[in-house]
Amino acid sequence: MILNGVEIRDTFAEAFPMVGTRLIITADTPEWAMIAGRTTTGFATSVIGCGCEAAVEREIPASETPDGRPGVAILIFAMDFGSLKKVVPLRLGQCILTCPTTACYAGIDTGKRVPLAKTIRYFADGFQISKKIDQKRFWRLPVMEGEFVCDEDTGSVEGVGGGNFLILARTRAQALHAAEAAVKAMTTVEGIILPFPGGVVRSGSKVGSKYKGLFASTNDAYCPTLRGVRPSALPPEVGSVLEIVIDGVSFEAVSQATRVGIEAVCAIGADGGIVAIDAGNYGGNLGPFHFKLREIMGAGANPGAA
Amino acid sequence: MSGAVLKPRAALEARVDLSSVTPGTFAGLSLREIEQMMLPCGGRAVPLAELFFVERGPEGSLVIEIGDPRLDHVGAKMDGGELLVDGPVGAWAGHGMSGGTLRIAGGTGDFLGAELSGGRIKVAGRAGARLGAASSGSRRGMSGGVIRITGSAGPRAAERQRGGLIVIEGDAGEGLATEMIAGTVCVLGAIGPLMGRGMKRGTVLTRTVPELPAGFVDTGTQELIALQLMARRVPDLSGFLDKATRARRLVGDVLLGGQGEVLVPE
Repeated sequence: MILNGVEIRDTFAEAFPMVGTRLIITADTPEWAMIAGRTTTGFATSVIGCGCEAAVEREIPASETPDGRPGVAILIFAMDFGSLKKVVPLRLGQCILTCPTTACYAGIDTGKRVPLAKTIRYFADGFQISKKIDQKRFWRLPVMEGEFVCDEDTGSVEGVGGGNFLILARTRAQALHAAEAAVKAMTTVEGIILPFPGGVVRSGSKVGSKYKGLFASTNDAYCPTLRGVRPSALPPEVGSVLEIVIDGVSFEAVSQATRVGIEAVCAIGADGGIVAIDAGNYGGNLGPFHFKLREIMGAGANPGAA
Repeated sequence: MSGAVLKPRAALEARVDLSSVTPGTFAGLSLREIEQMMLPCGGRAVPLAELFFVERGPEGSLVIEIGDPRLDHVGAKMDGGELLVDGPVGAWAGHGMSGGTLRIAGGTGDFLGAELSGGRIKVAGRAGARLGAASSGSRRGMSGGVIRITGSAGPRAAERQRGGLIVIEGDAGEGLATEMIAGTVCVLGAIGPLMGRGMKRGTVLTRTVPELPAGFVDTGTQELIALQLMARRVPDLSGFLDKATRARRLVGDVLLGGQGEVLVPE
């Protein structure tokens, strides 16, 4: 399958079930809401080392937030519900509670409950105030700046983590340009996050290592400097590869984001130095979710880019 | 659940306990069974049909036409459906109610919504004493749900209230929120003297600072994000709070270690 001179390889991204939740963070200005969102989702690129994967999902206009102030929605995913229950209050307490002017609300109503103020209310040392009206409880915590307002808890969803695709380009600059375009397009899709820096991974990994105790190591088949040294997946003209990793609240959301991202890369096309689109998998035996690139692109490819 | 309409045959000569008359207790009953239901009336029990004409009404709803201040316990222990009274009722309306909607198109007696735990009571008129309060001998008043009255409330409204929301569009009598444990009261009119004595927690929203006992301290005017959150989340408060972001906050009853608050939005 060729789209605008870019080969869509006949492969699939292999993804895993994750448990996720959404928080709505508001603040006096969009900038402070974003600062809180970015801080809360910092050091959350991969569950392997960070305990969770998180990022800002989207900005929310003041008219749509619970308290009428500008806000952001963030998504946080963990491998199981127990881990999610641990990481969310921890990040809430360290990054949102501490951030000037913020308030934090549930972004998902359904599913198992993830504690928010239910856990961190004790920071107020007995001066916390609870309000429960119509089955929804929120807390007010006196802080030096004024009051921190936070919902009791939030819901959760069984989502998908580790959706991905690889951009194979002639040069590093061309790979980066295409990755940036993909990220920009994908952030319009609701219900997904791209947890890596700027949404892009430059050091995709394979399972295992020659070193004991390391269970992931550099994906040598896609390292251009190892072409010929190791069995390579890269044709001679490829000089750089970047990966986009996607976590989402549903298979459909991740699938749509994959399509939108690949479309954006293909719009740049072979003329922009893009050689192929590939995806990372483990042979299909580890993750239950398979995002078949050609199926996804066949289903909704922009005819103009073909 | 099939509905019913009750029409009083004549003005009541004695107080009638309607606690067994709710949309829930009528569910599955035939018209005849409803008519034969025994109601405490004065010192005796009489069949419902002796006091009311009964007709079939809309599914899940119960309508009491005309109303009467001698009808006590209207909607008491109700747990769902809709009960409409087309006039005044007596004491204990909505007592211990846990769900559904009770609408009263007239005034009510004492203990309206006492120990309410859920559902919604709307009264187009005034309420007697101890609105949403604890019943005699009980330690805790209303714990959930919403009571909204368009008129004024008698003394000791929200006494020992521990949850839920009361909106009084008129004035509140003396002793409002006495020993209040938690919950929210919003008074659009004036508040009588001696409010908040022994208040432990909970919030009283009002337009002007009321006369407060010595145990209340003024923390000054505060910027409170919770005001706009409540204005948006709670339709019953959106009109009162409007665009308010600041409120004067008075805390009490600190003489008894309480942390209740009176908020006066600016």
